[in-house]
Amino acid sequence: MIELDLAAPLDRHRATVLPEWIDWNGHMNVGFYVVAFDKATDTLCEQFGCSWDYTREKIGMTFVLEAHVTYEREVKEGDPLRIASQILDHDARRLHFIHAMYHADEGYLAATNELMLMNIDYATRRAAPWPDFALERIEKLAAAHKALPRPKQAGRLIGIKKK
Amino acid sequence: MLDSLPYELPELVTRAPFDSHRSTVLPEWVDWNGHMNVAFYVLAFDQASGAFMRNIGLGRPYVDGKLGMTFVLETHVTYDREMRQGAPMRFVTQLLERDAKKVHLYHEMFHAAEGYLAATNEVIVMNIDYATRRSAPWPAPVAERLEAVWLAHKGLKRPAKAGRVMGLAKK
Repeated sequence: MIELDLAAPLDRHRATVLPEWIDWNGHMNVGFYVVAFDKATDTLCEQFGCSWDYTREKIGMTFVLEAHVTYEREVKEGDPLRIASQILDHDARRLHFIHAMYHADEGYLAATNELMLMNIDYATRRAAPWPDFALERIEKLAAAHKALPRPKQAGRLIGIKKK
Repeated sequence: MLDSLPYELPELVTRAPFDSHRSTVLPEWVDWNGHMNVAFYVLAFDQASGAFMRNIGLGRPYVDGKLGMTFVLETHVTYDREMRQGAPMRFVTQLLERDAKKVHLYHEMFHAAEGYLAATNEVIVMNIDYATRRSAPWPAPVAERLEAVWLAHKGLKRPAKAGRVMGLAKK
């Protein structure tokens, strides 16, 4: 397993907006924001040993139960992205966190993605407690992230405001 | 506000809920877990939003004619069951709310052959002026069609999965 990064938030994920992520509006399509965010989830899961190796070795998988995305600003083909991740909560088999996507050069917030992730047993494809090696690291990460302010995009209810 | 649109609008479907969009899980949508990846649910739902917007008159000609676009402001997905490559999808859409430039939609994705609910998606879509790339009121014929759709949808029961706030329920 890689060395644990306890800087809060976790700020390791970098990406670039690919040509195939652009839609007829000339910007990154809503679905591909989530592609980019899902790769940032892999980067987060690497921290506690539940990324690609975890599935390749047929130990387990992680499934997303629920996702909430706020689209704050457009990004265009070739734009560099920086995605930072903050753990909000966790229990024996779930992890609640939020990603913030920034334009890496211009610095503006492009989108946020709040997620509920669940650990899955490989054989049964059903929910299972985090393995000990993972839970130990999740607890350290959660403790490091605990002092961070809660982003205003977390826990949002979708709706059109009445005037 | 645009007073008219320079292309022919499709026959308006007001039947509620809106149950027209069908699709199939493509091979490139499947991830290392052997099922449709979370992001491609959002892409599939975005196409269902596209079907709803086409019905009220905002399809590809709206963008190609450089009149306007529609942007998604916010989206919330619940992942209820896995979908595998080749699975047929049926989408059912309910208009939950609307104002002068936004709609609040609720989609359900079903496995079209087995019938189970695979996912839900709540989404806010906003009308955008092409030149300024800023929000703008619906074109007049669209506002009129949207009102007809709203009349048919507003009596529908509010879905149980709409209006969720994410969190770990404390025991």
